[in-house]
Amino acid sequence: MAGWLEKVLEIDLSTHTYKIYPLDMEMARLFIGGRGIGARLLWDMVGPNVDPLSPENVLIFTNGPLTGTGYQTSNRFSVTTKSPLTGTVLDANSGGFWGMQFKKTGYDAMIVRGKSEKPVWIEIKNGAVTFHDASELWGMRVFALTKKLGQDNNKRNVLCIGPAGENLSRVAAIMNDRERAMARGGPGAVMGSKNLKAIVVEGRERPVIEDPERFKFLLYETRKLLAASPLTSQALPEFGTVVLMNIMNNIGALATRNHQQTQFEGAEAISGEELTEKYLVKNAACWACPIGCTRISKTEKVEGEGPEFESTWAFGAQCGIDDLPAIIEANALCNDLGLDTISVGSTIACAMELSEKGYMDSDLRFGLADMLAPTIEAIASRKDIGAELADGSLRLATKYGHPELSMTAKGLEMPAYDPRGLQGQGLLYATSNRGGCHMRGNMIGLEVLGLPKLIDRFQVQGKSAFVILNQNSNAAIDSLVVCKFTNMGVADEYFARVLSAVTGIQYATTELIKAGERVWNLERLYNNREGFTTKDDTLPPRLLNEAPVDGPSQGWVSKLDPMLKEYYRTRGWDENGVPTKQKLTELGLADLV
Amino acid sequence: MPVIKLFANLRKFAGAKELSVMGSTVGGVLGALVGQNLQLRAAILVDGIPGPHVIITLNGHNIVDLNTAIDEQDVIAIFPPIAGGQGE
Repeated sequence: MAGWLEKVLEIDLSTHTYKIYPLDMEMARLFIGGRGIGARLLWDMVGPNVDPLSPENVLIFTNGPLTGTGYQTSNRFSVTTKSPLTGTVLDANSGGFWGMQFKKTGYDAMIVRGKSEKPVWIEIKNGAVTFHDASELWGMRVFALTKKLGQDNNKRNVLCIGPAGENLSRVAAIMNDRERAMARGGPGAVMGSKNLKAIVVEGRERPVIEDPERFKFLLYETRKLLAASPLTSQALPEFGTVVLMNIMNNIGALATRNHQQTQFEGAEAISGEELTEKYLVKNAACWACPIGCTRISKTEKVEGEGPEFESTWAFGAQCGIDDLPAIIEANALCNDLGLDTISVGSTIACAMELSEKGYMDSDLRFGLADMLAPTIEAIASRKDIGAELADGSLRLATKYGHPELSMTAKGLEMPAYDPRGLQGQGLLYATSNRGGCHMRGNMIGLEVLGLPKLIDRFQVQGKSAFVILNQNSNAAIDSLVVCKFTNMGVADEYFARVLSAVTGIQYATTELIKAGERVWNLERLYNNREGFTTKDDTLPPRLLNEAPVDGPSQGWVSKLDPMLKEYYRTRGWDENGVPTKQKLTELGLADLV
Repeated sequence: MPVIKLFANLRKFAGAKELSVMGSTVGGVLGALVGQNLQLRAAILVDGIPGPHVIITLNGHNIVDLNTAIDEQDVIAIFPPIAGGQGE
């Protein structure tokens, strides 16, 4: 069938063998690809008795029916696994070039099972799999390894872990194409637990497009829409994502010093405007992307991609640091070591607060930029203070008797947007299936940027419907897989039309979004099966009880409880946050429970 | 006088990060700000009203009514269309 290649590659690292079998096309129709197919496969393969860092956990790499077609931003791919940080279902996706090249090897999905006795790296060339000894590569950092294994953006692409993944840090990322990250939730540790250092892909297959004329027209239309949108044609290319720093600070929703404040006096010094003026070298873009939001920045010590807004915030406002070169260097160091910048920054901030309050004995203090690099090195190597920080802020804060100082939801460090000034965003974090995350549906568009229309960010009643719409839409986009930035210029309707043109299956917009809802509910079922309940749909006590004493969000806390009740009802779940039989039947999931 | 803070490419067009401008309403201050500066006008206004995705805040709160009264100590922030927050 067009779009999909109808093949699954399953690799067993314990025996260094692999098999190829057909993709279940009914599953593909219902779950599309990427995150959707990943979640469906994980449901069958990894149950509640599986330790995420044991050989029984799997890594499921998936592309989607749009991946590699040349449709705008059709470069992305997903990894799905059980998170070693949160214990929830985890999918992380990434751009760059690797996803497109993976599709060209001829597979829709690659399942990696077991554990290699010795370090290994895998080469997939035109469909065939070769296992190489990685003993001499073990310990190598990401940039050097990517180069050594022959990264060539359009021909041969490298995905790997750095020392952090090898040392099983639960905040370790999987890196691809040198500086792209599948970062959240610790997938790098799962790869490390399997003694798998890298996967290199090289291929020649091209996905068939069912209706090339219609596809070509939609390609043309999308190009026009992205060029016409001031967001995708000007805002993102000109200032990148870090331009959000000043506006979040302006409205009093920039989490600061481990969420102790909601405005940072140093925001201007770490803003997108400052980055552009003093440190920007040039823009860059992922494969088939006309937006080009990637920033190449340079300091006296490093030159490379980023930092993005969230990374700049995590090492900046969250740590009380206004030294932009130090932040750029911390970001580059995390990329080289294979670490999640959000979780690392927020875990350091948590350690800073624990230390300032005398609960933990360390030299970490808010504002000390010189501490960033050595602390990050220590985390990746699990040495000294890094041994305590390598597993994220919740385990750290719990060890010192103050779990309330971990700024996490379901154990995943939240990003920059403080929920006290953004009620919908708080609901989003609390209900996100992989924990505190802005990528499962972001309310910033509606509550701050006016995309598509501005709504009252302090309003509580009625917010759940917007959150659910965003969550379902994002789950669908993550299953195609395309970049969510495309959605700023192109409506969901276009994605449904492109999916129809590529696959030949006629998807109405409502069916596409329903596929997203199906994915969301399946992920919820997974978490319920793992023992997560409504008590886990929450936020740190600080955000529920401590109102900012100044700034535009003064006096506000997250009013989560009423929003959550409304959310469950609107989702068609019972009062315990469990999808009802009626809802599961409607989504075709009833046979799973 | 109320202070107007400008962000992103508005700074380039205005030649400043912030300005003090006379006016008793948000709309009045806005009119005085763009004045004869055609680049600034084009970046902020469409047919005399703030263009799509232009964000105006008064002391950190979004403003949709240009007749909103302001006083001497107020801070108005103006952002051209900006985006982000959905990168992995």
